[in-house]
Amino acid sequence: MTTGFWRQALAVTRKEIVAEVRTGEVLLITAPFGAVVLLLVPLAIGTDRPLLARVGPGMYWVVVLIFGIMVALRQSATDGAPQRDLLGLLGIDPAARFAGQAIATTALLLLFEAVLLPVAGALYSPDISGWGWLAMVGLLPMFAVGLGLLGTLAGWLTVSLTTGRSLVPLLVAPLAIPLLLSATQALEGLRLRVSIGGWVVLLLALDLILAVAGVLSARPLEEASR
Amino acid sequence: MPPAIPVVEFAGLGVRIGDTPILRGVDLRIEPGEAVGIHGANGSGKTTLLRVAATLLAPTEGRGRVLGADLFGSERFDVRGRIGLIGHTPALYPQLTLEENTAFVASITGRPDHLVTEVLAKVGLAGARHRRVDQCSHGMQRRAEFARVLLTEPDLLLLDEAHAGLDPLASDLVSALARRTTGRGGAVVFVTHDARRAATIVDRAYTTADGHLVPGP
Amino acid sequence: MTKRRMLEISAISAMGFALALGLAVPAEQVQGHLSKMLFVHVPSIFLAYVAFVVTLVASAAYLITKNLEWDRRAGASGEVGVFFTGLAILLGMVWAKPTWGVWWTWDARLVLTAVMFFVYLGYVALRRAIPDRHLRARRSAVFGVLAIVQIPIVHFSVIWWRTLHQPPSLVRPGDIQMDPPYVSALLFSLFAFTLVYLALVNRRIDLSRIEEDVEDAYLAASTAVAGEAVTVPDLEDVGRDDV
Repeated sequence: MTTGFWRQALAVTRKEIVAEVRTGEVLLITAPFGAVVLLLVPLAIGTDRPLLARVGPGMYWVVVLIFGIMVALRQSATDGAPQRDLLGLLGIDPAARFAGQAIATTALLLLFEAVLLPVAGALYSPDISGWGWLAMVGLLPMFAVGLGLLGTLAGWLTVSLTTGRSLVPLLVAPLAIPLLLSATQALEGLRLRVSIGGWVVLLLALDLILAVAGVLSARPLEEASR
Repeated sequence: MPPAIPVVEFAGLGVRIGDTPILRGVDLRIEPGEAVGIHGANGSGKTTLLRVAATLLAPTEGRGRVLGADLFGSERFDVRGRIGLIGHTPALYPQLTLEENTAFVASITGRPDHLVTEVLAKVGLAGARHRRVDQCSHGMQRRAEFARVLLTEPDLLLLDEAHAGLDPLASDLVSALARRTTGRGGAVVFVTHDARRAATIVDRAYTTADGHLVPGP
Repeated sequence: MTKRRMLEISAISAMGFALALGLAVPAEQVQGHLSKMLFVHVPSIFLAYVAFVVTLVASAAYLITKNLEWDRRAGASGEVGVFFTGLAILLGMVWAKPTWGVWWTWDARLVLTAVMFFVYLGYVALRRAIPDRHLRARRSAVFGVLAIVQIPIVHFSVIWWRTLHQPPSLVRPGDIQMDPPYVSALLFSLFAFTLVYLALVNRRIDLSRIEEDVEDAYLAASTAVAGEAVTVPDLEDVGRDDV
């Protein structure tokens, strides 16, 4: 990976972050929506405290997963045909473009997770120890990287399709199950005081595999986008 | 300057989309320093031809080379950075300012930052460079695209109705850009249905009709 | 000194005085100094309700008169209302943790406040999303009216939902023994918060006008061929191939 690769990737990242700052799609729209869902669940299932404390961490991760897909799908990251043509004719390395988008989406997902974490913490009062919170801080970026990569990949798979945007959640959600299991089971493992190393390794391996898959498939996907 | 190979070289080139032929038996040769006009009614295949020349659409039959690269092979990706396209819809990011858009192009193509301000000033956008694209008129957006062409200095400049909706001064910019490109040894393809306007710019003209390309305006 | 500036100075001084008064009243028997959260929590939630009622009235007035001044007021009040609602929730949580041992409880009033916060956050997001001011005014006015119509319905649904569950027995603001010094400190605090509300709303309205002026200036410049922002291109320079 040359300096040119990273210069191009970071230019894409910067462009997407600026667009998010101008539109506030993630912070002002998707994040509040996620918070509302966290509020809705106890209204539906009951507010029994031990019950909520028990389901809290799982609910948090489910909401982060589903609404994280919306973060990956955000309008400001969806390039129209003229913009895609432009990027092609600027001679941008498709892998750099993929990396740049995935970095931007991951960063926004982290922000999204950080906003929802205290909301879930306050609403569900989960039974998480000091170590558990520390583990959570470690899990957040690993989960964000995996979901960011998956979302970006699915976005590329569905580009210029008429049903594209609504197809993405269906493609991502089942594939994200290992992410969900790793994150929730790592916390559960801490609670039960059993080793969580396996889950962490699984998360990291998944992140790595998705990153490699994304970078390698960027060129063929871009060629199939017109 | 590389040896003077033709910038565009199409022989019997055709494009089918599904079963529908869009272009058939197109022969076209454009040498460095030439500007060529392509006219024709709506839906006659002008834009398709332009997209093939831009390497964005792969032809399905015949032979075709752009800047020496075979359009049927993967080498066409290597010449993409040398092609400039100004299409119907401005290729700008609406939430970014004019300057941010141009700076984005500069970082992707590795051009120095100071050029960004310079090219924007040259097209008359120095005072508007901090304005967001979605707050700019069509003419201003077009000018920003011209600034992009000044920045990337393409060897093949493709203009698709680039005059549409422009004031006279901005129209003159199109001619100036074309002159600049041919002066550097590049080539210009100018697609428009306004043959009269194009006549002042182009060396030769063609007309598309029923998927064929015939000489003459 | 402008009226606006006078209002702002009075708001700041009133807040200072309210703070001093709040600190000066003796600690309450059951909750101690914690009970003084009352002086900030209650005015916040009160002003939130005031703000949303103002949004309702101004939205309706806009729909009737089509005067953008009403729209600006509706929008400003809605935004400030979201701020006060968020503040009330946060202050409530800070108060709840030492009192009840939890940050949050599923009390009907709390749930309702949270719902209200999100409804008006949606209102603010809707306004942000519509660039054209007349379109924005009309659509957000409809939502501004609809939102408050929904509030009582949400309120009752939440109350009914709550009665099915065992409501937790909690210490409420009303349970605090309200001696006369307490009442006067609370009332003064309400007064100070109201001034802050007015000052914020006025500032926000000013800001909307400035935003619109900037938009107009942009628009004027982009319709003129060689407006201030767009100048004559350097044709010579562009046409030359050696630069």
